Amino acid sequence: MIAVENLVKSYNSTRVLHGVDHAQDRGEAVVLIGPSGCGKSTFLRCLNQLEVADAGRITIDGVTIEGGRPPRTSEEREQQRQLRSRSGMVFQSFNLFPHLTVLQNITAAPMVVKGLPRQEAETRARQLLAKVGLESKAPAYPAQLSGGQQQRVAIARALAMQPQVMLFDEPTSSLDPESRDEVLRVMRRLAGEGMTMIVVTHEMQFARDMADRVLFFDGGRVAESGPPDQIFSNPQHERTREFLSRATTR
Amino acid sequence: MNKASRLSRVALYSLLTVLLLASRPLSSFAADTLEAIRNRGALLWGADAEGGAPYAYPDPQKPEQLVGFEYDLADALAAKFGVKARMVQNQWDQLIPALERGNFDIILNGLELTPDNQRRIAMSRPYFVYAQQIVTRRDTEGLTRMEDLKGKSVGVLSSSAAQRLVEKTGGVDLRIYPGNVESFRDLKAHRIEAVLLDLPIALFYAKPDPALVLSGTPFAPGYYGIGVRKHDAALLAAVNQAIEDLVQDNTLERICRKYGVWDERQERLKDYQPEVVPEKKSISTLREWPRYLPLLLRGAVTTVELSVLAMALAVLAGLVVVLMRLYGIAPLRWLAKAYVEIIRGTPLLIQLFLIYYGLPEIGIRLNAFLAAILGLGLNYAASEAENYRAGIQSIPHGQTEAALALGMNRWQALRHVVLPQALRVVIPPVTNDFIAMFKDSSIVSVITMVELTKVYGMLAMSTYDYIGLGLMTAGIYFALSYPASIFANRLERKLCYDRR
Repeated sequence: MIAVENLVKSYNSTRVLHGVDHAQDRGEAVVLIGPSGCGKSTFLRCLNQLEVADAGRITIDGVTIEGGRPPRTSEEREQQRQLRSRSGMVFQSFNLFPHLTVLQNITAAPMVVKGLPRQEAETRARQLLAKVGLESKAPAYPAQLSGGQQQRVAIARALAMQPQVMLFDEPTSSLDPESRDEVLRVMRRLAGEGMTMIVVTHEMQFARDMADRVLFFDGGRVAESGPPDQIFSNPQHERTREFLSRATTR
Repeated sequence: MNKASRLSRVALYSLLTVLLLASRPLSSFAADTLEAIRNRGALLWGADAEGGAPYAYPDPQKPEQLVGFEYDLADALAAKFGVKARMVQNQWDQLIPALERGNFDIILNGLELTPDNQRRIAMSRPYFVYAQQIVTRRDTEGLTRMEDLKGKSVGVLSSSAAQRLVEKTGGVDLRIYPGNVESFRDLKAHRIEAVLLDLPIALFYAKPDPALVLSGTPFAPGYYGIGVRKHDAALLAAVNQAIEDLVQDNTLERICRKYGVWDERQERLKDYQPEVVPEKKSISTLREWPRYLPLLLRGAVTTVELSVLAMALAVLAGLVVVLMRLYGIAPLRWLAKAYVEIIRGTPLLIQLFLIYYGLPEIGIRLNAFLAAILGLGLNYAASEAENYRAGIQSIPHGQTEAALALGMNRWQALRHVVLPQALRVVIPPVTNDFIAMFKDSSIVSVITMVELTKVYGMLAMSTYDYIGLGLMTAGIYFALSYPASIFANRLERKLCYDRR
């Protein structure tokens, strides 16, 4: 389903990803943990092409992109959009469109990108809103919602494009505890339904409960990977142990 | 009294003193001006040297030195008073108000001896007899008399005798120019069919030009006189005596011959008898507003047409420029940046001149209305582009990322996510520019457009009621711009999604 080979990415002269390999099956929920600046967000952003990798190869659901340079021909750009359309992204800062209502936030991309008729787009949007428990908020504007509600709308918005993979970039980091639980509940439900997911997070409890596999990122590499039991109870690497002892006693 | 209030009182008194001193006219016309001239040792004479040949103009060989038959006359006049002559530069059609303000002692600059002028200021006996001359292109035929000009487009100098003559005749497509050179340029560019002006100007500018011809014989003769303030009776008497002396001892003839403007008409100067000018009561345009307001409103229609069309052009062209600048390939980016910098860094007046008078040189001949819209529109486009740029860059990058992550391409992200949000940010500065445009549009009178401010100027010149007409004109401008701000406020509130 997802295959990443030797992904390399630098910002100016600073190398952020030192050749990352990753393979993931359909329906698998993977959690990335690690210290700040270790490259986990960059990894996620490369997967849906918000960043172009310097080298390496990314395949999602049969669509492959080689790193190296931004797409130039219309063919390459189409390939990039194909890859993007396979994944849905949820940002730490929600990034809802403030000038559109909740319903319009969800219907915009299906109508603009896929040319879905308004009627159909709205029906599906309402179903997704029900799924995240916000059907009553359809006519509201983002500014009228709490942080947790906004993030749930953002999840519904990403799902509206029917992605094969959901990418979460620290989705709960800017939320209060109550809102955090709302959002985690929605994510658990998605995982339970068999959605393929990659989650960058500092929520160790969530990782322990929900992940099929945990990757520990350190210094732009996958330092250790394995089922949550193994990572949390019996970490192999010194760095993992150190990180976890701080994370759990926080 | 405490220290602070004493200080503030001292400050107030000093301010009042400064204001009193500053408001004192340069040549103190409360006292006897003739006395003041002698004490000062200099006669201040007001004239316009811009396009001022052959009256008073910079010597082409030595541009820092002025020459001209009036320049020499001023020297001769001052010599009679035993003082030096010193010219004060002033726009020609504003000479009378400037004299009344006290900027100089006399006007000596082709000021016609007309009842209108004589009601406003005192005028001396004439020192020159002028006549009106029609100038056409060499290939034009049959435009030799005033009646021939009916239905033709004719250029005149602003508030000159020719303008009044053409207005009185009626049926002529009148074009009013601020200077002498521009009308001949437009004549050669086929924008107008003829120019009507005082003979000396025609002799100097048109006669040496192979493309132009003096058509028919001069007609409608009149006198140039020297203008002094009404209550300067002693000065007026001295000026009259001096002119009579200069006529009798042939000094005047010698000066005129030197500049090639002497003709047999000047013989009349010797036996001139002043006519009694009937007093006319001063006009209050406010009291007679039904006569004047419609004229101003007609000018306002032109102002609105100009502003709205030019702003529409600015809003669209600005969008093209900003999209090129932010999202274009490298050469387009540079082009857009250069456009903004050049337009912003050069005066609108020069841009208008280049469009109106410069483009015909390369074969693009726009009429004044189109040239005005193009000039104003392209000028404001640079400013709108900068407004848009500020608006677009104020939208967080996360918005574009979210749109791209949802599968939109760059254009879709811009169109559906970034621009609608930027719109709200740019409404206040764009409205501000629109209102500024209403007022800035008055500058296009330099390329012969007659809009609100120009109508005001023309009416003020003939009625001398600057205050009444000024209030009416300002009122019209305000009535035009205030609704625009209300509309913008509403729109802004309607788009205010995050405080709803």
